[in-house]
Amino acid sequence: MARRASSSAHPVWMLFAVGLLVAAVAGGALLFNKTSDPYRTLTALPVQDYLENANSLRGNSYKIDATVVESLRYSPTAGRLFSVEVQGSERLPVLVPAEFNHVNLERGQRFYFKVGVEDKGVLRAQDVKKV
Amino acid sequence: MKTTRLLSLGIALACALRGSAQVPDAAPPASAPPAAAPASANAAPKSGDSKFLGKDVPVFDPGSELLTWDGKTWNVNNNRAFQARFEKYLNAPEEVSTEARQYQAIISEILNRLAAGNATTANIDVAFKYLPMASRYDIDARLGSALADAVYTVWVAQRQQNRLTSANESLRYARHSAYFRVATSDTGSTLDETKTTSTTSKTGSETKTATDSVKSAARQGRAAIELAELEAAIKANEARKMLSEIQVKVEFQALIVQFFMQRRFQHVLMATRFYRAVFTDGDSKLNLGKDATELFQKTTGVPPTISVLDSLANEALRDVREGVKAYEFLLENNELDSAAKRLAEAFTVGEWVPEIRVLPRTKKRQALEYVQKSNQLLSTLEARDYTQAERLLADLAKIAKDFDASKARALIETKRRVAQLRLANARNAALSGDKATLEKELAEATELWPLNPQLAEVANAIFSQGDVQQRAVSDFDQLLGQKNYRQISENSTRFIAALATYPDKAKQLQGVLTDMQKIETAILRADEMARQSNYAGAWESVEKIAPDFPDDSKLNQVRANLTTQAADFVRTLRSAQDAEKREQIGSGLAWFLKAKKLYPQSDFAKEGVERLASKIVPEG
Repeated sequence: MARRASSSAHPVWMLFAVGLLVAAVAGGALLFNKTSDPYRTLTALPVQDYLENANSLRGNSYKIDATVVESLRYSPTAGRLFSVEVQGSERLPVLVPAEFNHVNLERGQRFYFKVGVEDKGVLRAQDVKKV
Repeated sequence: MKTTRLLSLGIALACALRGSAQVPDAAPPASAPPAAAPASANAAPKSGDSKFLGKDVPVFDPGSELLTWDGKTWNVNNNRAFQARFEKYLNAPEEVSTEARQYQAIISEILNRLAAGNATTANIDVAFKYLPMASRYDIDARLGSALADAVYTVWVAQRQQNRLTSANESLRYARHSAYFRVATSDTGSTLDETKTTSTTSKTGSETKTATDSVKSAARQGRAAIELAELEAAIKANEARKMLSEIQVKVEFQALIVQFFMQRRFQHVLMATRFYRAVFTDGDSKLNLGKDATELFQKTTGVPPTISVLDSLANEALRDVREGVKAYEFLLENNELDSAAKRLAEAFTVGEWVPEIRVLPRTKKRQALEYVQKSNQLLSTLEARDYTQAERLLADLAKIAKDFDASKARALIETKRRVAQLRLANARNAALSGDKATLEKELAEATELWPLNPQLAEVANAIFSQGDVQQRAVSDFDQLLGQKNYRQISENSTRFIAALATYPDKAKQLQGVLTDMQKIETAILRADEMARQSNYAGAWESVEKIAPDFPDDSKLNQVRANLTTQAADFVRTLRSAQDAEKREQIGSGLAWFLKAKKLYPQSDFAKEGVERLASKIVPEG
């Protein structure tokens, strides 16, 4: 009787294949993230610099990836003022003008904000995208 | 009635005599019982601008035992001079020596020999001889000699009158002769007429007849002049005789009155009897001045005569004897109050009467303690020392079973109660800060009862309270100036009491205490929060009030400690405030939001967020 050839893969190959799969998934996710950030061309707001001296950032536009904490104030004409939490620690006030009144911003929701640093350091949202 | 009149006259005379040595008291104080009837004293009559024994005749009111003299009124028993003299008498030994007995024997002998029915010339001469003998004794004070001198003066005057009578007899005889000569010259002497007719018939000359008529007329004129001179001499002698008699009478009467005023009643009796013996004309009316006459008339009710003086003296002697007997009887019954009064009355009238002089010292001294304590009681009541007066009342009640303490006790109790009431008012006024009432009531309380033991205590308390109060007020002002409110709060009890009378300062104190209460409440809250590790909340608790009380050391200390413990929150909040100051509204709001995240209950953060959010979005 003829000796049957072995059908099981070598364990080394098995480990390699798993690693390759994980790398493929991570790369895909990274790629997905990169491609889903609508303001990926913008610089993230340097929060510490802003807190220390907002004037130095005046006139610039930045992006903020933040979670809505609470609505501070509302005006039909001026818009809404939100407290958002950035990077899991710092909280910033963002004025969402009336033109974005159609966008529902609710507590706990994460948004991308394109903000401009205006006079007196007010962060005015120039665009809002839900993550 | 007669005795009362006698007593009042005796007192009046005694006081009048001692007047120069006494200083009448002012009107007795209202507090003293003897002054209970000043109205009656005031009603006493005055004799205008009389100069007799001062300004007025002394008048004694037996009802109130008040004597009015020279515009002054005092109780005879409450008089320093009388008290001293009476106490001296009570301490003096009785006069029972041989000398005293001899003296009284002489006086008795004189009185016996001059008594009615015995007053023969021989007895009068013997009595007169005894007078100098009596005056040799010290107790007589040479009054016997004065009486002897007066009697001798009368006799000399009477001898002079006899000589004048003899002279007038001679003059009358001469006058008779002169009358004869005038009479015969006037009608024409038969002898001369016969002689003239014979001569005419012999000579027949008319010229010679005329010459004889002229001579006759001249003789008649001389006789008339002589007659007139004799008449004038007789009248002059009679006038001299009359004057001499009146003069010696007045002098004698003055001596009797003087004896009476000196209350030398035995001498009054001797003098009146001598008077009747030497003046036999029956005229016994006293020739006194108007004031002295009024003095007798007002007290005795009859015009002054020798007989009145005699009977008054006899009555006085009898009254004194009776007074001494009454004293001895009351003494036996331990009724010292009445006994002392009776003896004092007897002594006042009859200081020199034998019964008073011979009263044994042992008997007198039994009344001495009572009299001394009575005098002390009057003094203490006058001085308004009611504590001592009460003790004396108790002592007197023990000594004398008839002592009536009700009047004095009522007076003492009334005064003490009113004084206590005034003192209570003063205390209340002090507590309420009514200075005017305090002073008034304190003065009244002092006036009513100067030696009130509680007066000193209350006054000291009020004054020390005033001192403490002033110091507290001063301290409060100083601490307030230093803004050391904590020190004020720690001594709040002291300042509350002291500043009660200063409304403005009390208001300031209230403000300080309210502030301190805020601070303490904040600190307490902070401590509680710190215990729960809520350092941010603790810090905020004290930080809220810190701007209002920047000088409170304890608050600052707590703040400093909590700032370290809540460093992150404090730094965040400070950064927020700093950014707000720099008009960095956006970043400032971001800092406030961060602070709120650190301490969600933070009022500072909440207010900061509200404040800056409204700046960013003005329309809510």
